[in-house]
Amino acid sequence: MSRTTTRTPRHTSSGYAVGRVRPLVALAWLAPALALIFGVVLFPAVMLFQASRGEYSITGLRKGDAGWANYTKVLEHPDLGTVLTNTVIWVVSVVALTIVISLGLAQFLVKNFPGRRFVRWAIIVPWAASLVITAQLFVLLYDFNYGLINHALKSVGLIETSIDFLGNDSWTMASMVLVGVFVSLPFTIFVFIAGINAIPDDVHEAAVVDGASPWQRWRQVTLPLLRPALLVATVLNVIYVFNSFPIVYTLNDRNPGYLHDTTITFMYKLAFKSQEKDVGMSAAAGVINVLLILLVVAVYLRIVNWREETR
Amino acid sequence: MSTVTRSSRPRWGLTVGGALLALAFLAPYVVMLLGSLRSSSDNKATPPSFLPKVWQWSTYADVLGDERFLAWLRTSLLVGLASTVIVILVAVPAAYMTARYTFPGRTPFLLLVLITQMFSPTALVVGLYREFFELNLINTYGALILTNAAFNLAFAVWILHGFFSSIPTEIEEAAQLDGVTRWQSLRRIMLPLILPGLVTATIFTFIAAWNEYVVALTLIIDDSKKPLTVGFRSYVTGYEQNWDQLFAASVIAVVPVVILFALIEKHLVGGLTAGSVK
Amino acid sequence: MRTTRKSALIAGAAFAVLFAGACGGGSGAGDASGDSASGGEEAKTIKLVAAEYSKDNTKAFWDAFAKTYKDKTGYTLEVQVVSWDTIDQQSSTMIQNNQAPDILNLNAYASYAKDGLLHDSDAVLPDNVKSDILETFVKYGTYQDKFYGFPDLSSARALFYNADLFKQAGIAAPPKTWAELEDSAKKVAALPGGNAGYALPLGPEESQGEFSMWLFNNGGAWKDGDSWVINSAKNVETLTFLKKLTDAKLTQNNPARTNRADAFDLFKSGKAGMVVGFSPLAGDLDKDKKVNYVVAPFPSNDGSESKTFGVTDYLMAFKKPGNEKAVKAFYELYYQPDQINTFIEKEGFLPVTKTGVEKFQSNAKLKVYLDTLPNAQLTPTDDPAWDKVKLAVQQNLGGAMTGDPKAVLDGLQKTAEASK
Repeated sequence: MSRTTTRTPRHTSSGYAVGRVRPLVALAWLAPALALIFGVVLFPAVMLFQASRGEYSITGLRKGDAGWANYTKVLEHPDLGTVLTNTVIWVVSVVALTIVISLGLAQFLVKNFPGRRFVRWAIIVPWAASLVITAQLFVLLYDFNYGLINHALKSVGLIETSIDFLGNDSWTMASMVLVGVFVSLPFTIFVFIAGINAIPDDVHEAAVVDGASPWQRWRQVTLPLLRPALLVATVLNVIYVFNSFPIVYTLNDRNPGYLHDTTITFMYKLAFKSQEKDVGMSAAAGVINVLLILLVVAVYLRIVNWREETR
Repeated sequence: MSTVTRSSRPRWGLTVGGALLALAFLAPYVVMLLGSLRSSSDNKATPPSFLPKVWQWSTYADVLGDERFLAWLRTSLLVGLASTVIVILVAVPAAYMTARYTFPGRTPFLLLVLITQMFSPTALVVGLYREFFELNLINTYGALILTNAAFNLAFAVWILHGFFSSIPTEIEEAAQLDGVTRWQSLRRIMLPLILPGLVTATIFTFIAAWNEYVVALTLIIDDSKKPLTVGFRSYVTGYEQNWDQLFAASVIAVVPVVILFALIEKHLVGGLTAGSVK
Repeated sequence: MRTTRKSALIAGAAFAVLFAGACGGGSGAGDASGDSASGGEEAKTIKLVAAEYSKDNTKAFWDAFAKTYKDKTGYTLEVQVVSWDTIDQQSSTMIQNNQAPDILNLNAYASYAKDGLLHDSDAVLPDNVKSDILETFVKYGTYQDKFYGFPDLSSARALFYNADLFKQAGIAAPPKTWAELEDSAKKVAALPGGNAGYALPLGPEESQGEFSMWLFNNGGAWKDGDSWVINSAKNVETLTFLKKLTDAKLTQNNPARTNRADAFDLFKSGKAGMVVGFSPLAGDLDKDKKVNYVVAPFPSNDGSESKTFGVTDYLMAFKKPGNEKAVKAFYELYYQPDQINTFIEKEGFLPVTKTGVEKFQSNAKLKVYLDTLPNAQLTPTDDPAWDKVKLAVQQNLGGAMTGDPKAVLDGLQKTAEASK
């Protein structure tokens, strides 16, 4: 393997292309991916759009065409404002907290210490345990009567009477966010660990030689080189948290109405649990969901100058 | 900084911090473990006790001896592994091509990938049901595998794209001057370098498939073909609550994933990235 | 250049394999759907989607049933057992895709009858079976003079009280009136240890059930003849009483956000004096052996005779070409006393047939429910609008605990009148 030209990889984050290929060659390499995307993601999405234009009975039977009526009904829904606000709070707080905490923890977890491997294994657990389970587990932990969290807080004298973490409106969202961050951390931490490990050694050695402090080195060397990982972690967490269903649905299942729902659980409840019980409306909400997240990600990518990243 | 510490002596002081960190992540699951070792009603006792009043080990025998549980576990493993293999096989060429070469349609393709990432199977389940019905794939593992592969592909392409891009092009250019083919270059030079990315993509896909709930719920008819996520629902319902069994089943289900990760993580440490550039 | 062509070939081959696979599956589908349902031919295989009442019994019963069914009739029964919290979604998805099962087990039927999806009893229910089903259930299973909602099992609610807590609080007998109930709740709540006097679940899981029990025992109703009377003076009085219990802290914390299962848990852990329960709760309590409980008729407001709130679930038959015979054979077998009653007994519910009531008479534990069963009052399940009103009640009733009971009931009345 040749190694003559790699002394100082100055532009590692921007990934220069090696060359041009003809479209047909590129298509061949991309074809399996395209087949899956068109066949199993976009085609069902078209079907979702079709459903959003239908009029459905409460049983799920399609009665005829609804035109855009389902969209009007969703947009005029009295709780839409609440749901959108909840979604913003949910996504922004979970993603921001997750990214910040993960950056710190990843930095810690690349250090060399005995037992590091076991710590990394421990961190994977919230991710490995299915969300359905973790959400259910936290319902029990948070419980007003049987929950260990309340029990512990009372034992150490922090509170006198139990807190209704899931039933008290001022606590519900915070309780859900905590679980959301908890289950998002493992993935994000590992993206950052992988990202930090992908940074070539000599970059740091050069910085050390220059006499930069650890903070300066991190701020001026590591962080910029982590840009791809940060980009991936942020975009994916936004999408992932936005689409997250089990946590909000399970932790919020005792609360009536849409007081703490995000757009995803709103969509689900419209179809199956609410007094609307209308698949067409739910499908319209689903389409609006997709458009919404498209918009958010597009704005984000615009801000971070995505085209430059991938060039 | 990472590299500096990587080459430095191990520090025991950090181990204490690491232990605390591990504890924070494990604490809820310790409660789960303890919950599996006490009777179902003891899980809902007030005031709650941290340790079981009576240690009840028989729950594990019950769960492991339950044919239904074993079938759910088998489905989850099969679907998780198969979707992961497909995702890696499909994503690597796509990510490599888009990260390393320019061609007409490259940006649209990346945009398309990004857009598909935003669709959640939960939202599309109606369309998926319809499609798989037409393909005669309702109630098959194939439907679950295809769904999980398709919806996790975008992530894998993205993360691998990021990793391919972060590798200096000079390495490959030099190799290509030496007459190495594109395919060989990908296999021999690039793959070892992006191992951390591969590991992340693998784990992510496997776990996402392992966690998938709504599609499996809708597409699978036979009890024996349900994955764990759907099967879990049978333990605690409005009519009966078997918290002990739910928790025991969960503990058993977490173990294979943690083992899988342990195996791969070693790989990650072994073949570390930039090491091969030196 | 050679290399690019080679790699193109490999990737192209991979694509071809994938594509061919999809096509192969496609043509297979055509064959399979051909023999399952289309045309006027008689269906040999029918599909049942059954709700899961318990993990150990439901599936075991239906699997054994399918075997007997095959042996006796020659038809094949595909069984899909679905958890209660997802059955709405499953059934809705199937119907959207014209994939309704032949038989669906659910807690509602009227909307399906209204949509013209169901067989009525004339087509698929043997006459001797129809005459064996208790009249109450025939009545609530009838939509526009035709019987569609065939009950699979039933339950009736009663008051469960914790005898130890009652004794400790010096309460001699279970309450006969609401005033007595309030008094008992006060005494239990005053005991040390933070017990709930009365566990009141008004959370979205099943608040219509809890409220039904109360409003029937105040002489109220959801519907009077053809018109909705949700916001009647009686019902406002009932809901106001529940609010009073809540405000006086005689209930558990936050009743508006407590689901039924959580109220049961509280009672099972010995921390609630009273709760409205049914036979599966008794089964759990007997299994745990932790709480010394007694089952009594639910008190009425004025001390008049107690009324029971009854619930049935349904096994409805979907109209699919050629499935009448196989479906009829299904009902013929299911309503055999040794089938239906075995199922009901295993699951811990109550019978729906006259022969069943006779058979269960010998069971002392069930007597308290059985006596009231023939006169049990149900929610208006025979009105398709109820399927919507029920959901509105679940989502909104709890709001009365922090708001105005009358306003909440007025809102529900409006919803009901609007959903014709």
